[in-house]
Amino acid sequence: MDLYAALQAVINGVLTGALYALVGMGLALIFGVMRIVNFAHGAFMMLGMYATYVLFTHTNISPYLLFMVAGILLFALGYLIYFGLLRPIHGQSDFMQILLTLGIGLICTDGVLLIFGADYHQINIPLLGKNIHLGEHIVVNAPWVVSFVIAVAVALGLYLFVMRTMIGRAARAIAQNRYAAPLMGINVFRVQAISFAVGIAAAGIAGGLLLPVFYIYPQVGDQFTLKAFVMVVLGGMESIVGAALAGLVLGVVESLTSLYWGNEWALAVDFVIFLLVLSLKPSGIFGRQKA
Amino acid sequence: MRRLVRCFSVLLTGALVLCGCKGGSQSETGNTFKIGVITSLTGPAAAFGQAHKNGYTVALNDLNAKGGVMGKKIELVYYDDQSRPDQAVQGVSKLVDQDHVPIILGAYSSENTRAIVPAVTQKQVPLLMPTATADNVVETGSPWAFRICAGSGAYATTTIEFLKAMNAPKSVAIVYENTNFGQANGQAMDKAAKANGFDVVDTEVYQASSPDYKSLLQRVKAKNPAVIYFASYLLDASTLMRQAAQVNLNPEFYTSAGTGFAAAEFPTKDKGAGPYAEYTFSVSQWLPTAQWKGSKEFDEAFLKLTGAHPAYHAMEAYASLLTAVAAINKANSAQPAAIRDALKAIDLPDTPFGPVKFDDRGQNHHPVLITQILEGQYKVVYPADAAETKPVIPTPPWNKRQGL
Repeated sequence: MDLYAALQAVINGVLTGALYALVGMGLALIFGVMRIVNFAHGAFMMLGMYATYVLFTHTNISPYLLFMVAGILLFALGYLIYFGLLRPIHGQSDFMQILLTLGIGLICTDGVLLIFGADYHQINIPLLGKNIHLGEHIVVNAPWVVSFVIAVAVALGLYLFVMRTMIGRAARAIAQNRYAAPLMGINVFRVQAISFAVGIAAAGIAGGLLLPVFYIYPQVGDQFTLKAFVMVVLGGMESIVGAALAGLVLGVVESLTSLYWGNEWALAVDFVIFLLVLSLKPSGIFGRQKA
Repeated sequence: MRRLVRCFSVLLTGALVLCGCKGGSQSETGNTFKIGVITSLTGPAAAFGQAHKNGYTVALNDLNAKGGVMGKKIELVYYDDQSRPDQAVQGVSKLVDQDHVPIILGAYSSENTRAIVPAVTQKQVPLLMPTATADNVVETGSPWAFRICAGSGAYATTTIEFLKAMNAPKSVAIVYENTNFGQANGQAMDKAAKANGFDVVDTEVYQASSPDYKSLLQRVKAKNPAVIYFASYLLDASTLMRQAAQVNLNPEFYTSAGTGFAAAEFPTKDKGAGPYAEYTFSVSQWLPTAQWKGSKEFDEAFLKLTGAHPAYHAMEAYASLLTAVAAINKANSAQPAAIRDALKAIDLPDTPFGPVKFDDRGQNHHPVLITQILEGQYKVVYPADAAETKPVIPTPPWNKRQGL
């Protein structure tokens, strides 16, 4: 295995990792910052994929524009779900949230199953056949590059939202002390609703971006829910930058594992890293040690 | 907490009431003859489960038009295993204990079929397996399991015979998914290749339904095999071939253990790999152009029902129901043991799927064909007496292909 193969694997890993990162950042905001245990995260990503798919088949507009519509739809859905379902169980045990979000996930998956059937679908865009040659040895598939660029832009936007906007600051304030925050004039429910919706929109956008190079079926999101939790923990729970880096790391590690040990080990290595980090550095690779 | 408990109890009561209703209505249908079917109507294997269902439906319409079985109309009781082995096992209990079916057809995948063999053996109900190719489904020693299709061993040996007939260079890489189907076919090829002097230069096992196999394909490329043998389901078959083009992997022969590479959807642009499927070889058990009596009629009836031509999975389901009903007629009984004995002795010389007769292991010796996708169509290229056209070899490299 020469150096070019390794370099190629790293590039492929980064391209996949950027999409992981977006999914992970969404969950970092919801679970890491807002402490809402969201087991429906992958299901929302799946909804983003289906939304993009339906819009694409009806309008024939490029999925690289339609992902925005999917994001907006998912934002609205997230907002409604927060006020309709999550707020009523506010303050109750995490166990209730787990049951509720698991239930929401099941309803999404089975709802899609009822409407679209269990059959899988894929879209065909001309870009799919385009490969970009970087030098003699490195090849990248164009749709992955486009997805990567958009994912990075959205991730940057998400970062600015959390770090620079009033709502982002308020969300972090709530995370620091959920009792003091309302005393400072923060509307906790509104801030949480918006943050939850933004996190879900991020998952939906990642889904929309993955659609052109993948395929969809109702359970497609399931594998991403677990991955997203791994990223949030690796990233140090409260840090959305940490989750994003963890996403990139997972992408590259999977790709390199696949190259050197074989594809069957890729998932196993993910979880070995997860267990090691949990036991050796529970605050996450990129997390700060708490005093 | 109390609210939660109350919620649960209401739900539980509701569920019990519903179950009760269902059970009652189902045991009252006395004028139909029930046959159990387990297949994957939902989940990743749903495309094949649907093919099964369509094949069964064509057979059911045919048979009922001819008067059903033992003077009763045939009723198929479906159980959807959601593409999961644990669900398939539950299906056996449900079909036998609640619906009292005397014979079960299924499941779709080798994984799920292997899981239900012990269950039917314990319940003492015959199982007719339409599509499971892993040979371990007939190697349990169970006297209740019968398989109508050819298995992984026959796939591998036929592929090797074909390669030898084509004077292919003797280096092969095997790529398979880590399920019962993949392992059985991968290992069968390993054995057959080595027995025939082929050099197995690489073996890759992969996790199904991943978005990225480029690193795996790079590993294969580094070993530079002349032949690649894939054992994959449809979704991965499409991803593998697209990404094979991206990493510019150019073996002389892309061969495969059917399934994903033999699905009717695989050469299509909307649901498969489209132009990336071109030139791939696959084993096949049956094609609409097969010379067996009734093949053409089945193709026409299937086309009328679904608007598409069938692949061999649908035919295997069709032939299974035909065989099951022939056995029930022969036994002239609705007792599982009597039907089992009839299956053991059955000899159907000309079904649309060819001759059906089971050996001591419960295996039907079905011939295997090799097909190649040419201009989006599956064409039989081997054995010579069944070939429709000559194969295109070696496979043109990706950069010399048109229309990608």
